[in-house]
Amino acid sequence: MSAKVLKLLSFVLTGSLLLGLFACQPAPTATQAPQAPTEQAPAPTEAPTEAATEVPAENRVLKVWHYESDTGAMGKAWLAAKEEFEATHPGVTVEMDNSKGFEEVRQTASMVLNSEEAPDVMEYNKGNATAGLLSQQGLLADMTDEVAKRGWDKIIVGGLQTTSRYENGVMGSGQWYGVTNYGEFVMVYYNKALFEQHGVEIPTTLEEMEAAMDTFVAAGLVPIATGASEYPAQQIFYELVLSKADQDLIDSYQLYKTPVDFHNEAFTFGAEKMAEWVEKGYIEKNSTSMGAEDMGLGFESGEYPMMISGSWWYGRLMTEITGFDWGIFLFPGNEFNPGSGGNLWVVAENSENKDLAYDWIDITLSPKIQTIMGNEGGLPVNANADEITDPKVQELVEAFKEFSPGAAFYPDWPAPGLYDALVSNVQELINGTMTPSEMLDAIDTFYNENRPQ
Amino acid sequence: MSPGRNTASPKEGFMVNRLPYLRKGFWFFLLPGIIGLLLVIILPFLVTVAASFTKWNGVNPPTWVGLANYERAMGDLKFWAAFRNNLVMILAVTVVPTLLGLLVSVFLFDYITRKFKPGLANFFRAALYIPQVLPVAIAGVVWRWILNPNWGSLNVTLESLGLGSLAHNWLGDPATALPAVMIIMVWFQIGYPLVIFMAALQRVDPELLEAAEIDGASWLQKFFHITIHQIRPEIFVVVLTTTIYALKIFGQIYVLTRGGPGSATIVPSYYTYQALFEQANVGYGSTIATIMTIIIILLTFAFIRIQVRHEFSRQEV
Repeated sequence: MSAKVLKLLSFVLTGSLLLGLFACQPAPTATQAPQAPTEQAPAPTEAPTEAATEVPAENRVLKVWHYESDTGAMGKAWLAAKEEFEATHPGVTVEMDNSKGFEEVRQTASMVLNSEEAPDVMEYNKGNATAGLLSQQGLLADMTDEVAKRGWDKIIVGGLQTTSRYENGVMGSGQWYGVTNYGEFVMVYYNKALFEQHGVEIPTTLEEMEAAMDTFVAAGLVPIATGASEYPAQQIFYELVLSKADQDLIDSYQLYKTPVDFHNEAFTFGAEKMAEWVEKGYIEKNSTSMGAEDMGLGFESGEYPMMISGSWWYGRLMTEITGFDWGIFLFPGNEFNPGSGGNLWVVAENSENKDLAYDWIDITLSPKIQTIMGNEGGLPVNANADEITDPKVQELVEAFKEFSPGAAFYPDWPAPGLYDALVSNVQELINGTMTPSEMLDAIDTFYNENRPQ
Repeated sequence: MSPGRNTASPKEGFMVNRLPYLRKGFWFFLLPGIIGLLLVIILPFLVTVAASFTKWNGVNPPTWVGLANYERAMGDLKFWAAFRNNLVMILAVTVVPTLLGLLVSVFLFDYITRKFKPGLANFFRAALYIPQVLPVAIAGVVWRWILNPNWGSLNVTLESLGLGSLAHNWLGDPATALPAVMIIMVWFQIGYPLVIFMAALQRVDPELLEAAEIDGASWLQKFFHITIHQIRPEIFVVVLTTTIYALKIFGQIYVLTRGGPGSATIVPSYYTYQALFEQANVGYGSTIATIMTIIIILLTFAFIRIQVRHEFSRQEV
């Protein structure tokens, strides 16, 4: 081999490597094209008409991403929506993909939405740290006009609207960047058999709840199944805070209306009560290494009289608990409870099928699809109440009505990463490695360092 | 090794003298590698270093904050907890598995292979290597089941043996969480040094051992004065690679404890992940990543220097 051949060979190798590298490069991400919030709201009506004229109807594909299981209430309802959509939109195919999980979508949404792989419409987590952030990045279509035109604001009312609207990335007011399809809230699930066996009535105040738990502790039971290595324990802490909270405090904490004093009556009560509940054996220290799944399985096993968690468990408990009868009640004495509208349908700003995406959302909000969701154990926002047949589901819908005026959202919403901070600090509180005051200081610091300024 | 090197040198010189294009043309072959290194390693590293001097959520334009993130890291108790846990992890990932791996490999090689069939040693080697092959997520979930305080098999077994007082909230109590993770890490890691050392032992010249035996050396003397010296390069490789692995450890912590309870098992790479992906705090996440990268580079240089010095001193002898 001569020197020339060697040189040629090395250039060919280098060239092919460079080619390969550029070919593999992803499409520009949001980091490369930051957009000021003011530039992010083109008139939503323009894109659909453009798209509709450019792409012949028979070739159109609507890409829908969601992360609900096909066997759950939402999954079943949306499969029905797909059929309905394709029947009413001849020539349009709905490509529905639920292979990406909640966590995967949460972490990669900004990259996905700015790539060619972006779906037209996708289910996305609500809140400032998620949908709020994406709306600020200019990745989500502003649906405000569409919402008014199609009357979605008449279906999604009151507190349920909070998570759909964002102003400079902060939820509560401003433009509509998402539309929720269902509701969710935190409640107390209870084991009717254990309640009857120990002569305990459904508590209506916190004092009655504590008296009931004393009865269970005396009988050698741990009254509340929970898991502190994931979200459940922080929701109990939040319920306790809410027992002393008013709307102003919730607005301050969740919507930053005024600075939050983490040593006020409500937060102090919540932290001290939580520590007291651990000390009295209402919550076990073992929960520090248990997650949400452990909590659910614990309650399903029939060993725990109560579980404080969200409506997302409801459908699963309906099918999986066979050995005992169970029911629900709202956290006793609370005017406010954790909960909100469910996850959102968001439309990609870059989508060429915005018109179809809005039709899709419209169909999922139709009474027909919503009733299917209700009958499968979901919490519809627009169902025909008299068509919901299952008494167990009716019980949930009733509780949802009672909950709705007092939606206090979730404790981890105000700041990105607050979820982990709450997990670790509540663990410290349960383990006794932090006093209630130290725990509140830690949350205070994290909240103020990370909340949108 | 050294004889090979001595005979190779004049031959290499001969080739270069006879074929002059080898002297000026070889660097072309390095180009693809260098470009790859620049694009995949050096450039992202420089971007990370640059990001560490900014306040940035990964999307909006970054704001220059100078050394503020580094100052924050110096005063951040969680960062130091992560760093301390990382040092402890070196014990579980490097020190203990290397020592245990050495002992077990010598035992398998010297005793099991001789007294029984070699197949039995191979069986043990494969069995002990399985944790290395298992996906971290699956092994982690299985360990979580085993250590579940309420229905995990460890506590259930202890209770059935009448040792219920020893049952414990292994991963949820700050006193036992880190030791529990360490034990799991030893289980994960043991197979790696074992396989390398068993291969290395086959390389040890049996004549040396026989000569020592004839001279009356005991098994321990042979082990310390011959075997360990002969397989020193492999020991260096194992210690270096496992130390780097320990400093980068992420998957096991993510699956087992997510750094909890509190920050009892947090490690820098998980803390970086939290800052980058959970808090969208790219500036601070990059700072922790930069500090860890510098530590790893320094450590690697130190190891390689020591190794080279040893090699040279051996050759001089």
